[in-house]
Amino acid sequence: MEIIEEKRGHLSTFKLQGRLDSNTSQEFEKRIFDAMSDGTKNVVIDFKDLDYISSAGLRVILKATKALKREDGKILLCAMQDYVKEVFEIAGFDSFLPIVPTLDDALKSI
Amino acid sequence: MIAAGACKGWESACYDHQRSGTDEGARVMTPRTTLSFELKNDLSELSTLCENLERMGEELGIARRSLFEINLALDELFTNIISYGFADQSEHTIRVRISSENNLLTLVLEDDGIPFNPVGSPPAELPCTLEECKVGGLGIHLVRNLMDEVAYSRSGDKNVLTLKKVIEKS
Repeated sequence: MEIIEEKRGHLSTFKLQGRLDSNTSQEFEKRIFDAMSDGTKNVVIDFKDLDYISSAGLRVILKATKALKREDGKILLCAMQDYVKEVFEIAGFDSFLPIVPTLDDALKSI
Repeated sequence: MIAAGACKGWESACYDHQRSGTDEGARVMTPRTTLSFELKNDLSELSTLCENLERMGEELGIARRSLFEINLALDELFTNIISYGFADQSEHTIRVRISSENNLLTLVLEDDGIPFNPVGSPPAELPCTLEECKVGGLGIHLVRNLMDEVAYSRSGDKNVLTLKKVIEKS
C-alpha cells in the first residue's frame, strides 16, 4: 500500500492507495502516530484509491480516532469505494466515524 | 444426473451422492474442486491469497463484490490463524481448498497449529460507540457476515474451517 501524506499546519491528509490489511496496517499506524507526535491535530484520510480494507485497517483508524479525540482533534474519512464503505458499515463504524463523499467535503468540514 | 431440484443449497446429503462414470448404480456427486493452494504462516502471503482468488474469480466468472467478500473473510481467518494458532516460531502451512457447485462455493482452510477455533469467540456487540467499541472479535464478526456458513472442527492434528457462500456471477 502507498501512503501519500500532506501536512498543512495542524492538518495531515493521508491518501491511501492499494490495500489496507494486517500486513500493511502497521506502517499506516506508524505514519499517523508520527504525524500526531509532530503536531498534527486533525486528520483527513482519502480513500479514493484504496481498493480493500480489513479489520486490521479499521483497528488502526479507530485507535487514531480515539487518540485524536483525546487531544480535541478531528478525523474525517472521504471518497470511499463501495466495498470499502461496506466494511465500515458491517462493522458498525459508520455510526461514529465521519464518512463524507469527497475530499472537498472533508477539507471543508475539518 | 441428479435432478436439479433434488439438491438444495448446502445440505450435506448432496455431497454423499456421487456419480461414477461407468456405474449408474452408485449415485454419488462430489463438488468439483476448483482451486487448491497453500499459504505460509506469514502476513506477506495475503498477496498470494489475493492473486489465487483473483484467478479463481476470472475462471468462475465470480462478481467483484462476491470476490471481495471471499478475500476479506479468508484474510481475516488467515490473519487470526497465524496470529494465535501456532505455539512455535516455525514455518507452517495453511491449506486452502475451494470447490464450487453452481453458485455455491465451499472453502476449507486447514492448518496444523494448536487446537484453535478462530470463530469460537462470541460475536462483537453492535452497534458500538467510539468509546465502547470492542475491537476483539471484529474480524470474526466480518467473517460471519460475509459467509453464509462457518464451521470449525478439529480433525486429528488439524484445525479445519469450512465456509460456504452462495456467490454472484458477473
